[in-house]
Amino acid sequence: MRAPRAVADVRALPRTVFGHRALMWWGTMGFIVIEGTTLFICAMAYFYLRRNNFTTWPPEHIYRPALVIPTIQALLMLVSIIPMRWVDRHSSRMDIRGVRSGLLICSGLILIMCVLRIFEFQALKVRWDTSAYGSVAWAVVFTHTTLLVLEAAETLAITALMFSPTVEERDLSGVSDNALYWYFLTGVWIPLYIAVYLSPYFM
Amino acid sequence: MTASGMLSLIQQSHSVLNPSSPQARLIDRLWDAMYLVSVIVFLLVVAALLWGTFRRRGPEAPETDPGRERSLTTAVSIATALTVLILFGFLIYDVAVGRQLTRGFGKEALQIRVIGHQWWWEVQYRDSIPKNWATTANEIHIPAGRPVALELLSNDVIHSFWPPTISQKRDLIPGKDNSLWLQADTPGVYRGQCAEYCGNQHAKMGFLVIADRPDSFASWLARQRDTALTPTTALTRRGQEVFLASTCVMCHAISGTPAGSRIGPDLTHLASRQTIAAGTLPNTRGNLAGWIVNPQSIKPGTRMPPNQLDPNDLQALLAYLESLK
Amino acid sequence: MSAAAAPAPVPQPPPAFEDRERVRRELEQTWDQPPGLVPWLTSVDHKSIAKRYIVTAFVFFVLAGLEAATMRAQLARPENNVLGPDAYNQFFTMHGVTMMFLFAVPIMEAMGLYFVPLMIGARNVAFPRLNAYGYWVYLCGGIFLYLMFFLNTGPDVGWFGYVPLSGPEFSPGKRADVYAQAITFTEIAALVGSVELIVTIFKNRAPGMTLNRMPLFVWAMLVQAFMVLFAMPWVATATQFLAMDRLIATHFFNPAEGGDALLWQHLFWFFGHPEVYIIFVPALGFVSSIVATFTRRPVFGYPVMVLSMIATGFLGFGLWVHHMFTTGLPQLGQSFFTGASMMIAIPSGIQIFCWIATIWAGRPRFTVPFLFVLGFVVLFIIGGFTGVMIASVPFDQQVHDSYFIVAHFHYVLIGGAVFPLFGAFYYWFPKVTGRMLSERLGRWNFWLFFIGMNLTFFPMHQLGFEGMPRRVYTYLPETGWGDLNLLATLGAVTIATSMLLFVINVVKSLRPGLPAGDDPWGGETLEWATTSPPRHYNFEYPPVVESRSPMWESGPEMPVVTGLRTDVRDTLVTTLLDAEPDSKHRHPNPSIWPLLAAVATTVLFVTLIFTPWGAVIGTPLLLLTLLGWGWPRGREKWEQQLVESEA
Repeated sequence: MRAPRAVADVRALPRTVFGHRALMWWGTMGFIVIEGTTLFICAMAYFYLRRNNFTTWPPEHIYRPALVIPTIQALLMLVSIIPMRWVDRHSSRMDIRGVRSGLLICSGLILIMCVLRIFEFQALKVRWDTSAYGSVAWAVVFTHTTLLVLEAAETLAITALMFSPTVEERDLSGVSDNALYWYFLTGVWIPLYIAVYLSPYFM
Repeated sequence: MTASGMLSLIQQSHSVLNPSSPQARLIDRLWDAMYLVSVIVFLLVVAALLWGTFRRRGPEAPETDPGRERSLTTAVSIATALTVLILFGFLIYDVAVGRQLTRGFGKEALQIRVIGHQWWWEVQYRDSIPKNWATTANEIHIPAGRPVALELLSNDVIHSFWPPTISQKRDLIPGKDNSLWLQADTPGVYRGQCAEYCGNQHAKMGFLVIADRPDSFASWLARQRDTALTPTTALTRRGQEVFLASTCVMCHAISGTPAGSRIGPDLTHLASRQTIAAGTLPNTRGNLAGWIVNPQSIKPGTRMPPNQLDPNDLQALLAYLESLK
Repeated sequence: MSAAAAPAPVPQPPPAFEDRERVRRELEQTWDQPPGLVPWLTSVDHKSIAKRYIVTAFVFFVLAGLEAATMRAQLARPENNVLGPDAYNQFFTMHGVTMMFLFAVPIMEAMGLYFVPLMIGARNVAFPRLNAYGYWVYLCGGIFLYLMFFLNTGPDVGWFGYVPLSGPEFSPGKRADVYAQAITFTEIAALVGSVELIVTIFKNRAPGMTLNRMPLFVWAMLVQAFMVLFAMPWVATATQFLAMDRLIATHFFNPAEGGDALLWQHLFWFFGHPEVYIIFVPALGFVSSIVATFTRRPVFGYPVMVLSMIATGFLGFGLWVHHMFTTGLPQLGQSFFTGASMMIAIPSGIQIFCWIATIWAGRPRFTVPFLFVLGFVVLFIIGGFTGVMIASVPFDQQVHDSYFIVAHFHYVLIGGAVFPLFGAFYYWFPKVTGRMLSERLGRWNFWLFFIGMNLTFFPMHQLGFEGMPRRVYTYLPETGWGDLNLLATLGAVTIATSMLLFVINVVKSLRPGLPAGDDPWGGETLEWATTSPPRHYNFEYPPVVESRSPMWESGPEMPVVTGLRTDVRDTLVTTLLDAEPDSKHRHPNPSIWPLLAAVATTVLFVTLIFTPWGAVIGTPLLLLTLLGWGWPRGREKWEQQLVESEA
């Protein structure tokens, strides 16, 4: 092995960074790409079956989905971006108290979303084993629900961490990454909501 | 058909490179062109590789010689350009052949419906008059020199219809109607096998396409449209009784008798077929006996159960079945 | 607080340089993985994990090879009775599933997981515990699949599992469910590996290693990782749809209720075609590494090589319908896929031309790795040409699902991927173990493999022309296929012998064989800058890179970066494009949680085979292990001070 020759020293470099400078941000992006692709596939399957095998949609003897609760949910998801963005900004400012209060609000919101999701399944007005229509509508909503549940668990855990005595500066970078995932989760739901709940009315 | 007859049949008729139809010939010529080009390019590239590897060199370590890098760049660029040209040429030729193959359904095409089952082929000759429908199994007769339009459906899983000497293959997919047109140049017997994995006996789901002269075809079809010949001897009458009293009728139909189940192959003209068990065995008395008594030993997993019959009953049954021409 | 944008320059060497022994001792202690079961189970060292992947994948390779040998024994004579149809159908399915999911993709990713951090001058992959989790999930999945196989519940629907055959009506029992969920395990592991590779390559490169200076092998792994990211979700979704059709009566693939049998094929092949390039692209990286080292010059045409690999990655996603040319899709659409399938030959061709140019301009050395590269070129061209042929719709409609196809893909997979892989084994074995493999045995290995491979698979082209379909457990004597099948079986025996020689070579060389030293071949890239085998921390100081060939062009001293701590597992994070030092990151210590999370994942997916309530049992369990994994622990006051002192 050759003798080393120092050309730079990195002692002064920070340990807590945000955004694409952080490794965990990239990990979160990887997860977003994978899950986003999966949701895209479910939506593609939805339209493929509809176009190839059905003349009416929903098929005969099946009601169109109810709209009240799904629309409330969609709006709630959009609105929830605001407190999460607040948390995001305060985390990069290292303001742990702001982060704590913001995360409490977001934790409450996502729990409400989980409850509303139960009613959203009912709003589909079809069982998963009734026709390919039911199967593929449930596939879209169910896949998104697994992400919703995971994100709820993560948000609650991070909220708890923020209140724990062993919390550190670098954990705030994780709060910011969680916000990134939140934007994805809520944002990706909008086209899916339109596809599954609204499109049977106008397409 | 005898076993040696089957041997020569299969050896002659199973090959992509032995085309007996316009389609197969087009594809064979396409293969010839691609093969020739591939061999030439392969030899050139391997020669370049070996020459580059073994050529004589001076003793010094290689310097990056800009002149040599430039000439290598030129060589790689030329090779790439030739590659693109050759591939483009193939593409044009392919699309042209493809279009010729999908053209060609005329009104004069004979329409035949083939339905895939696990593990046999149901063949229906339909007609505007339902009385004139003919149903057989595993053997498709067509008039030589005339286009035939096959309508391909499946009763269960995906199968694929492939008689290589006269046609490329097409899948039989449940829920989808596929079609394939083919035409045999000359009278002959052309064998094929199912070409899409469909379960336990995929390996033994063969069929025959028999191209007849037009007059032979007409008389064959007329016979197939008839109901089964009534048994004339005591033995064959007894055979029909055995058939109607056994579990055979749960799956097999013989028109003109009460047996009408469509689960298994139609036996109305069984004796007119050259093979049994979907192209697996020549249609001889001995093979038929073995098949009836223990189909599982010939095609393990087949849907037909073993049938223990009294030996006299079996002989009568065989005589009856042999009379169903 | 904002981060410093540039590192502070240092005018004279810091004191640590004068005491390299102390630095080494501290690093050893910090990064240590002592022998023993618990350190092995909790290891987060990328090399340790990659070695496990490679050994496990090789075991699966041998198992799949034995399955193939049994199939060849059955097919050697017509109407043979080595395997009945039910057993044969399980064997060919297991052969395909094992080779594609349990051997090929994992071993390629593992070679990346071992060598990419070394080649880019990093200490570990970006997420060490996730890496461990990926391996355990892979191992659990493989064990589960083979356990079911030995219990006669092995999948029997082919590795491609077409519906409706694999659906609830025509595959009763649990075999197809085992198929669907076993794939889930391997797909999770593959996705984990791909995220690791992408983030490590993007953010952990040595200072100075701009994208333009990255080794071609690293580019290959980057392209492959992106392909995995976008391809795996398709097979995951397809298999979950299938599992649901079977378990809870959904109708994704049931034509009677509006489902579609072709939907499965589209979903599967949208994954399945990129899958083969996922296997193939890393091999391109092996070849570039080997060609450069053994011609003693950098590979010709670096920018074009990089663009070719990227093009292959993109184009690979546009070909899938060529697996469906006989399903009756519209002809115009099919022609598009003919064009795309031919186009992808262009970047592969360009790479071959560039390698030949490199050999031409360099000074080749006939080591065993180089021999494997020569074999690769010959075999891959043959497979590539048959590939161009079957890109043609009419021609494919003749030979699809026949032994011609079997011949084609074995030429491109064995010739195009396994030959480079063996070359890579011979090339990097000294680095991983510190010992050289025997050249003599290696040459026997190569020639027997090359001859055996051609003996086995070349006759299959002819068998396809003679009408022999795939996936048949036997054939009639009258077909005349017996002689060529017998020849193919003899070839298979030859291949098996060559594999035996390889194993003997490895065992003898570990016993121990010739010591290798740091850089026995005079390699171009950074893995040769450290010891053989590398220490757990890889490099004492992160190296700095000033060219594409750091080992050949950096003079008598190795430029490095100082300032990382030696008492914690410190690593350097650099910027994406220009690899400038950007931040420091502390890697986790060994942990048992990845293994526990993998066990929870196994519980989840195995119970899902039997009941949908598996989700209710398995998910909370998994969430608990993830909580245990992620919850920070072991932080003490002095760590807080660590943070503060560097603020």
